[in-house]
Amino acid sequence: MEKTMNRRIFLKYSAATGVTAAVSGFPAILRSQPKEILIGSIQPATGVIADLGIADRRANQLAVDDINARGGIKSLGGAKLKLLLGDCEAKEEVGRSEAERLIKEGAVCLTGPFLSGVAIAMGTLCEARGVPFVIDVAAADAVTQRGFKYTFRCFTTQSILIKNIGDFLDTIVKEKKVAMKRIAVTNAGDLFGRAQGKAFVDYVKAKKLSFDAEIVEHIEYPLGVQDLSAEVAKIKAAKPDILCPVARSGDAKLLVRELYKQRVELMGIIGPGSPGWYEPEFIRDMGPLADYVMDNAPWPNPKSPRFKEINERFAKLYPGKYLDGNSGYGYLAVMVIADALERAKSTKPEALVEALRTMNYRQDIMVGGAVQFTANGDNRGANTAFMQVLKGEVKVVLPKEFAQADYIFPTPPLWKR
Amino acid sequence: MSSSFVLQLVISGLLMGGVYSLIALGLSLIFGVMKVINFAHGEMMVWGMYIAYTILLFTGIDPFFSLVVSAGALFVLGYLFQRTVVNRIIEFPEAMQVIPMVGAALIFENGARLIWGPDYRSPASKFALSSLWIGEIMIDVPRLLAFLIAILIAALVFLFLKYTDIGKAIRSSADNRLGALLVGTDVNRVYAVCFGIGMACVGAAGALLVPLVPLAPHIGPPFTLISFIIVILGGMGSLMGAMVGGLIVGIAESVATIFLPSSLKQIVSFSLMVLILLFKPKGLFGR
Repeated sequence: MEKTMNRRIFLKYSAATGVTAAVSGFPAILRSQPKEILIGSIQPATGVIADLGIADRRANQLAVDDINARGGIKSLGGAKLKLLLGDCEAKEEVGRSEAERLIKEGAVCLTGPFLSGVAIAMGTLCEARGVPFVIDVAAADAVTQRGFKYTFRCFTTQSILIKNIGDFLDTIVKEKKVAMKRIAVTNAGDLFGRAQGKAFVDYVKAKKLSFDAEIVEHIEYPLGVQDLSAEVAKIKAAKPDILCPVARSGDAKLLVRELYKQRVELMGIIGPGSPGWYEPEFIRDMGPLADYVMDNAPWPNPKSPRFKEINERFAKLYPGKYLDGNSGYGYLAVMVIADALERAKSTKPEALVEALRTMNYRQDIMVGGAVQFTANGDNRGANTAFMQVLKGEVKVVLPKEFAQADYIFPTPPLWKR
Repeated sequence: MSSSFVLQLVISGLLMGGVYSLIALGLSLIFGVMKVINFAHGEMMVWGMYIAYTILLFTGIDPFFSLVVSAGALFVLGYLFQRTVVNRIIEFPEAMQVIPMVGAALIFENGARLIWGPDYRSPASKFALSSLWIGEIMIDVPRLLAFLIAILIAALVFLFLKYTDIGKAIRSSADNRLGALLVGTDVNRVYAVCFGIGMACVGAAGALLVPLVPLAPHIGPPFTLISFIIVILGGMGSLMGAMVGGLIVGIAESVATIFLPSSLKQIVSFSLMVLILLFKPKGLFGR
């Protein structure tokens, strides 16, 4: 007897097909050729350093858009990347819970989070959940010293920052034949600020500089401080030759204005390596007071045509902004993730981690070399540049091969400009 | 340790304390009259700052003059906020009042972030960088102006409460709500005006801080906290207490940096608060 298809039979068959498909993993065929790969970006987009966090997030997004525009991840059938956004509010516990959320939403890899304390919290979670974590910005050495297998850091470590500032100071003293005997150090009281301030003070105290120098004052203030008049009065009383501040964006401005008002005589302001001194907002608000400030930090390679092209597009999207060392690494980290996905040909954590371990990503966007990760997960190619603000523009002045201008030292006093 | 260094710290602290006083005055006034704690106090101050900043940006008018606009705008905001939100929760238990106030604080903070963005802003105003010198001692002109204007505004608020009809109505409503109602005072309106005045104080204080403090949407909570300390120190609801408390906290925080690391300087004001709560729980001027 021939069976005719009626409504009841049709329903029976289609229900059975549906169940079979769900049980046997019919969608798995789709999964093996993902149309969209989710990457979690967790940045301090609100809270005390929201400006820096948002710049970093925008750079993450720009890199994702660039990869999608050139055809996505080719080895995965041209799968597109999608950035899932998380906000750590500059707090460790929020960073952890946001990471948990993005992993639940299907992120195959995380990036972020600007703050070293948050990086440790997120790294611990990624270790437990088995999700690769490619840090774009976070410098404290401790981040990669916990034996994490899933954490990789593109950014420069604190040890490199400190060694480089030592070399740069040595160069200045040698080239300009000046005496920088008395050094005052300030730092914000978050994990990075504290560690960076202490590491620099220890470096000077251990006599690792090629010239004679002593720390005459070391001041720590809370992150998000509102008033630095008393602190600057203390610095003035110590009569330093140079001031080496480890800052964030708000306190950098407070500090410069107080130095001006209290007429603190300095040969120069030389950041051992911290934000605050090279962002567009610092130059916009401080005007001539921003000039001659020097800072040591990871920085985009000013001679790279590729960087110029990316930066032009970034500035077009966000008028008045440019890519700096932090947002530059925000861009680079997503490129590194994309390269790992390309070579892993899979979004499985083990395959991704293996691809990250064997990474050799040639780049000329940032000052430094190709991205290769050590056993700890640190980037062998990460390096720093020494910059000075000259006529309202940040110029790389050392090392010579990247330099855009000659540096000026000693610098004219703040109130004679 | 030179004496001029100590004197420098005392003066800086005293001048900053004047602005703290004005911020705390608003909080104390609102609490004294309505028994509502304004947890959105610092966030509303930030709005006052942004209004003065925006005026400076577009017209070049210095915050020391545009503070009238900041104060006026915050008065209206405070008036409406009282009418729409605070009036509905005024009879609630304190713990329940906290939630809408904290919610309002979040809305104000993130509203500011939405409008003005997350950047720190330190606009170049006329007086921002000027200073006077008396021998070795530097007197920061914006700080001095802020101090003088803050004291002036506080004095005006005192006079207003003492001599005007609406001021008297505010005081009578604070003393005895039922009594005020019985003699025909429109207590709800009086409360709204009072909340408006409290907000106007904090709006003016915000404008005064524009040349002194880098402005960002999130800087409110530390100011809310410091006004709590001042109000507890001076006595909840006491306006004189808020003034004196502000000066004490300003000086204490500044001078504390001589013997404490800066990151710990708030210990001094919190310790003062703990001592007051232990030995004189009603505060220095509390009744």
